[in-house]
Amino acid sequence: MKTAVITGASSGIGLAALVELAQKQYAIVGVGHDANRSEQALKQVLAAVPGAHVRFVNGDLMQQREVTRVAGEIGAILESEYNGKLDALVNNAGCVRSWYTTTEEGYEQQFALNHLAGFLLTYHLLPQLKRAGGRVVFTGSESHKHMRVRWNDVMFFSGYHPLTVYKQSKLCNILFAKGLNDRYLADGVRAYVVDPGLVCTDIGNKNTGSLVNFVWKYRKKHGVSPQVPAKTYGYLVETEPAPEELYYYRCKPNRYSREVTSENAGRLFELSERLCGIQYPASEPGKGGKT
Amino acid sequence: MNVFISGASGGLGRALANECGKRGFNLFLTDINEGGLKSIQRGLERQFGITVTTAACDLTSDESVDALLEKIDGYGIRFDMLLNVAGVDYEGGFLERQRRDIIRIISLNNEATMRVTHAILSRRREGHPFYLLFTSSLASMYPMPLKATYAASKRFLLDMAVALGQELKQSRVRVLALCPGGLVTTKEAMSGIEAQGFWGDATTNPLEKVAARTLHRLQGRGGIYIPGALNRTLTFFGNLLPRRWVAAAIYQRWSKAQQQWNPSKIKTRTPA
Ligand SMILES: NC(=O)c1ccc[n+]([C@@H]2O[C@H](COP(=O)([O-])OP(=O)(O)OC[C@H]3O[C@@H](n4cnc5c(N)ncnc54)[C@H](OP(=O)(O)O)[C@@H]3O)[C@@H](O)[C@H]2O)c1
Repeated sequence: MKTAVITGASSGIGLAALVELAQKQYAIVGVGHDANRSEQALKQVLAAVPGAHVRFVNGDLMQQREVTRVAGEIGAILESEYNGKLDALVNNAGCVRSWYTTTEEGYEQQFALNHLAGFLLTYHLLPQLKRAGGRVVFTGSESHKHMRVRWNDVMFFSGYHPLTVYKQSKLCNILFAKGLNDRYLADGVRAYVVDPGLVCTDIGNKNTGSLVNFVWKYRKKHGVSPQVPAKTYGYLVETEPAPEELYYYRCKPNRYSREVTSENAGRLFELSERLCGIQYPASEPGKGGKT
Repeated sequence: MNVFISGASGGLGRALANECGKRGFNLFLTDINEGGLKSIQRGLERQFGITVTTAACDLTSDESVDALLEKIDGYGIRFDMLLNVAGVDYEGGFLERQRRDIIRIISLNNEATMRVTHAILSRRREGHPFYLLFTSSLASMYPMPLKATYAASKRFLLDMAVALGQELKQSRVRVLALCPGGLVTTKEAMSGIEAQGFWGDATTNPLEKVAARTLHRLQGRGGIYIPGALNRTLTFFGNLLPRRWVAAAIYQRWSKAQQQWNPSKIKTRTPA
């Protein structure tokens, strides 16, 4: 049985992607934030796909110690039941904020959840991904275009603008995916970014101020159902041979920003390693890969 | 520059610590929450490469503070700046609260702050200017029914700041009282502001700007810093009216707000 881990699986796009992969017979660990919400989500999944192999692990992925704990729990599940193999990791959890707010480490919250959490979780699950020749999929966004990484102040301590910070975090998703491919394609691990389009979810109505709340309530009505982008996740993790491009919209490759270069990807990789206090291992071609 | 920060693992404490980190200051951080202290220490070291020392401490306990001072004296640290941030609030009417909770507001916001201030001032670097911050609140400007103890405790800090600013001028100690309105530092604060809608947004001060300007003001002329033009205006006009009238108006507003959402659940580390 193939395995998948999906973060932000308790609602919105993550939940729809979870249902999509459950229909494709994956054994899935969904990562949620709040035990009650995850339980509700699990009920929905089981109603849609009776007998699905799904369970939830919960944690606040903004906090690095929580990411590490969640990764440990997932690792133990994969080890004991699935030969330590992970076929698909979907880094999807994300948030929008209206104000500068920080995590326990003092890191800006959108940057910490939308980018660093995935960076750290992927690090912890890399051995299992290598063993399976797995794929890593990020939920990016078209809004990453016309953005640059603000290298001298990535967390926007001065001149904080919530939407700009969100956009930069989505640019970071593509840069990190590129960085992973630059490093680990030879090990059989491949990363993709999905542009889900405008989707009707509650992301702009969770812990935001009245303006963002108001705008998003109106805007989300024009969005598609999360089931629409969910297909692209199924496509990217299942298609053989593996799709070659980096950025996909509705199962088709799409153009992405010219800022996405190996140089910028490498720079973000190093910065993120420092901010997480980790060092990704060197590539070891031949050791991993599909067996 | 050696800086001591109390309440360092709360939202405002972390923002001020980041601001200090950006300026390359060395930090000595304390908070009652040991896990949070370790996290912010890691974050600061990784972001700014500065020296950060931490010690968890219950500032309301003399023994705990003595142990902290022993540690400081063991290292032989001398300070150039003290940021008093630790503080609590429990909302709800005077008689609806636990007696101990009311006393705790005074023990932390006032007693503990005096304990730390005296201890760190006595360990200031000789022959250098020293910068001293008290985190008061917009609530210090008026007597506040339903937040009476908290508001009075913040008034104490405001008066201390102004008086010490004069008393210690000759010793080159510069003092600032920070009096913010709402600050988005906790999830509860976020949902509280969300519940207030437009006025919530309007009276909320951006945390990062408050942190930056606080340090700027502290190293500049000191005095009283009320962030936000709207808050300054309201304060100015509020001060023209008899205090009893203002208290009556505040009572009206808070008793309504209390009916709207249950504030007894709200407990912030660095409330405004
Ligand atoms: N909606 C769009 O139009 C759109 C467009 C482009 C990209 N995206 C991206 O799509 C992704 C998913 O968003 P969505 O629209 O599906 O919104 P959503 O329904 O709010 O989903 C976000 C998910 O992340 C979880 N989450 C939030 N904070 C968390 C934390 N601190 N720790 C762990 N998990 C946390 C949420 O948990 P709870 O269920 O407990 O809240 C939820 O499962 C995000 O990365 C977003 O940037 C969305």
